[in-house]
Amino acid sequence: MSEKIYAWMLLLYPASFREAHGEEALQLFRDRARHERGFLPTFGLWVDLLVDFAISLPREYGYDRPALAGAGAYGRSHGVPSFFILREKLPRVDALFSGSVISLAALAAVWILLGYPGNYAGAGIASGQSMGSSPYAPREAPRTGPEDIASANSNSAPADWSLNAAERQRVIEGAIANLKAHYVDRDVAQEMAEALRKHQQRGDDDLPMDGGAFARLLTSQMRDVAHDMHLVMVYSREPLPDHPVEATPEVLARYRAELQQDNCTFKSVEILPGNIGYLKFDSFPDPSICRSTAAAAMASLNRADAIIFDLRDNRGGEPAMVMLIAAYLFDHPEYMYNPRENTTEKSWTPSPVPGSKLADKPVYILTSGSTYSAAEHFCYDLKMLKRATLVGETTGGGAHSGVWHRIDEHFGMGIPETKAINPFSKTDWAEVGVEPDVHAKAEDALEAATKLAKGRLQEK
Amino acid sequence: MPKRKLDPLPSAAFQILLSLVDDDLHGYGIMRQVEQQTDGRMRVGPGTLYSSIQTLLEAKFIEQVDLREDVKLGPARRRYYRLTSAGRKLARSEAERLADLLRVARAKKILRGEYV
Repeated sequence: MSEKIYAWMLLLYPASFREAHGEEALQLFRDRARHERGFLPTFGLWVDLLVDFAISLPREYGYDRPALAGAGAYGRSHGVPSFFILREKLPRVDALFSGSVISLAALAAVWILLGYPGNYAGAGIASGQSMGSSPYAPREAPRTGPEDIASANSNSAPADWSLNAAERQRVIEGAIANLKAHYVDRDVAQEMAEALRKHQQRGDDDLPMDGGAFARLLTSQMRDVAHDMHLVMVYSREPLPDHPVEATPEVLARYRAELQQDNCTFKSVEILPGNIGYLKFDSFPDPSICRSTAAAAMASLNRADAIIFDLRDNRGGEPAMVMLIAAYLFDHPEYMYNPRENTTEKSWTPSPVPGSKLADKPVYILTSGSTYSAAEHFCYDLKMLKRATLVGETTGGGAHSGVWHRIDEHFGMGIPETKAINPFSKTDWAEVGVEPDVHAKAEDALEAATKLAKGRLQEK
Repeated sequence: MPKRKLDPLPSAAFQILLSLVDDDLHGYGIMRQVEQQTDGRMRVGPGTLYSSIQTLLEAKFIEQVDLREDVKLGPARRRYYRLTSAGRKLARSEAERLADLLRVARAKKILRGEYV
């Protein structure tokens, strides 16, 4: 809701300002809203915004081109009142008090006028969080830039304010039909359908907004009901293909050749001082192509006393490869949770692996904000099983658990169609990432993990 | 002419230039950096910030770099800004002007305590 109000406020700025910086200003608002939670910080945020609004709006209209903040303190233009930034010099206490009261009254009035007092408290913030951070990608390799679609929601600058009523109607109807047909819980699907219609009838969807904002709004409306972070509506400026892109034999052959040429993204395997095995690989490639490469890499770690997996640049890949590599680390089959799949015999690692001597070796995994998707699957499960110590930064938060459904040329949605049993926790890494056991900057993670491994080995 | 609006250099513009001295930043990064370098005294709102950025862009004191992710803030891609050599020069001359003022203030003994 807060975001909607701010989007409304931005509409009052001249078109030139909105086109140049409207989306950026909205993004800045989202960033602040996400970090300034709680009553007082939110109150402070709105006071800042209202003061800024009062100062910058007249100036935008007062000058031919936007003048600089604070410029009026030095020189005035065409008799337009101008102001210095308040933070430079604190106003009087009584002025602050009156300003706060007026701001609160204005805020309350807007809320009441819109008719939803507090109904959306936090929804704006939640949708801000989810913008573009609801990655969805087709599961099959070869992948064709899933990030492009994932980030499309938030990169619609310059803003296109002209999404018309017919388009909105079509997207909502498409969403409802897909939810009813595919969502894992039919009762919740029905509740979501009713909620989407209710929002539509109340006019919640009528505010001027571009495709990305509309997709985020629908995402938050669905999640408010289902509390399922894997549900996502996606807007793409580029037309979405009619049919799923089938990889031709030529494309598959090229993919295979490129993967092999790149050593299946296994970048480095070595034994570090202290007899610590180090393996850096930047994806979890298709085992049908890379099984032998992975096996060779794992075999070369056999003589190490501790293992460090470097996943700081690992952007994900195939769950089957996650299982294959994890299998080396256990002497018995172990259940590995994957939000994308129902439990099957494939959910258990094919352990023990003949010839592997890694089942009792300490394991450390280096992570960064770029560690993503299947790499997070690997991190999350080994962390939950207490089989590895994660060192580095919180990972990217891509669970990719929805199945893609195209609605029209620009809209599509990810809908979870399975409900995998998570024995570890109610939530997984979708949106929030996997938090490391030991926090360190990505660039310092190797040093930190090496230190931890050496300390552990010395204790033995 | 944008340059005319920058003479004298308004405080917000100077703070934005200073915030970009060490690193390229996006709008939210600039806001946070300004807040930090002023010990929380100045928190530039979105309207003021992008208004100033627009004028600095037109005067070529800063430039747009690219859209990229900020891993700390999530996958949304943000527009980054960079200080140009002209902008760096302007920030330096403004700092020197303020240093001159400070010298005068010191000479007139209106400052208390130790000042660098």
